[in-house]
Amino acid sequence: MKGTRARDIIFITLIIFAITILAIPTLLGALSSIPPIDLRTIAINYLNNTYNPFNQTLWTSSPEAVAAIVWDYRGLDTLFETVVFYSAIVAALALYREILGEKDILKGKGLSVIVQRATAVSMVGILVVGFATILHGQLTPGGGFQGGAIAAVTSVIAIVVFSRLIIDKSRLSYKRLLLIRNAALVGIALIAIIPIIPFMFGDHTFLSFIFQNQVKAVNSFSYPQIIVDVPMGGSIWFYNLFEGLAVITAFSLAIIVVFYSEELSRKTIEGGEIGF
Amino acid sequence: MGSEIQIAMYMTVILSLYINISICMYGVISKPNLIKKLISLTILQDSINMFLILIGYRLWRPGIVLQPPVLLDWSPTSEVLKQFLERAVDPLPQALVLTAIVIGLAVNIFLITVILHTYRHFGTVDMDEIGRLKRVVIVEETA
Repeated sequence: MKGTRARDIIFITLIIFAITILAIPTLLGALSSIPPIDLRTIAINYLNNTYNPFNQTLWTSSPEAVAAIVWDYRGLDTLFETVVFYSAIVAALALYREILGEKDILKGKGLSVIVQRATAVSMVGILVVGFATILHGQLTPGGGFQGGAIAAVTSVIAIVVFSRLIIDKSRLSYKRLLLIRNAALVGIALIAIIPIIPFMFGDHTFLSFIFQNQVKAVNSFSYPQIIVDVPMGGSIWFYNLFEGLAVITAFSLAIIVVFYSEELSRKTIEGGEIGF
Repeated sequence: MGSEIQIAMYMTVILSLYINISICMYGVISKPNLIKKLISLTILQDSINMFLILIGYRLWRPGIVLQPPVLLDWSPTSEVLKQFLERAVDPLPQALVLTAIVIGLAVNIFLITVILHTYRHFGTVDMDEIGRLKRVVIVEETA
């Protein structure tokens, strides 16, 4: 007990020290003027070029600057972040590798009929909001990540309200979810390399870039800019769609696996000695 | 006078975020319960995201046309683009936070599964308790 008190005192002193170290430069203006009045030059450049029809070699045809930065200007960064996301879910699933895709032993009934009906109605609403966020990612704040996270809520409340049996009964089995997820990730990769396909097949006069979205100075390749009168953001729309599908299925998979009944989950640690 | 209050409020928010971050670090390091560590970690993630968004914030000053900071006109003239630049906030921290949140969520799910496995394995999520259990087993094996 005496040890914990000494440890707490040391920690509190260190916390106060760290806050002081951080606060003094902040007060002296390390984060530029406080509160910020003007934008940094880099932000001005991005905002100026994102939807600028007068300079079409630099624009993205997406009025939403955040989506344009995420999937066009810094598209490769986002690709690698998607890889991190993919690996984290794969790691979580790998811990349950012995029971993946199996039907659960427990036959739950779920909550009462009133709750189930109300949830069924609201689930449709949540899915619609999620997909609207995904598909309008190039026009309004939103996109694949956020819309996918919204739509993935349906799988959580479905499991809680209807019990886990609904997964075993429904057609969204483990294998199909995995298939959709991998197809979505292949889609992201395909959209990224479509611009360089002519170059890969020997047409060395056609110079283009991986992750190219709109027309550049050296070539005329471009994803759809405007359909009817709505800016499509070129490849941003496709990336948002595929990323949204990947996020929905990834979180659904993780939730399905975490919600396995305790008896079945214990199979995953069988053979290991208790205590080690 | 008005700007002094604004600066003081802004500084209070930033300092409270610093305090939040350091308390969360204390929780991650000091608490032996793995669930408490996870809760501290999630609050730490959210505090840092908040801090990043706050850096991209921009003071609303008189003279700016009162409109949402999005581009409403889809066939803009250069005048409209200039006005948009005057009222837009910094999009870069938002782009960073956007992906950080989802990746944080995925990593949290992984941590939750690891903690669940730890619980099934040892019957407890207390790190001190787990250490004691392992020590007892080691002593039994070497004796």
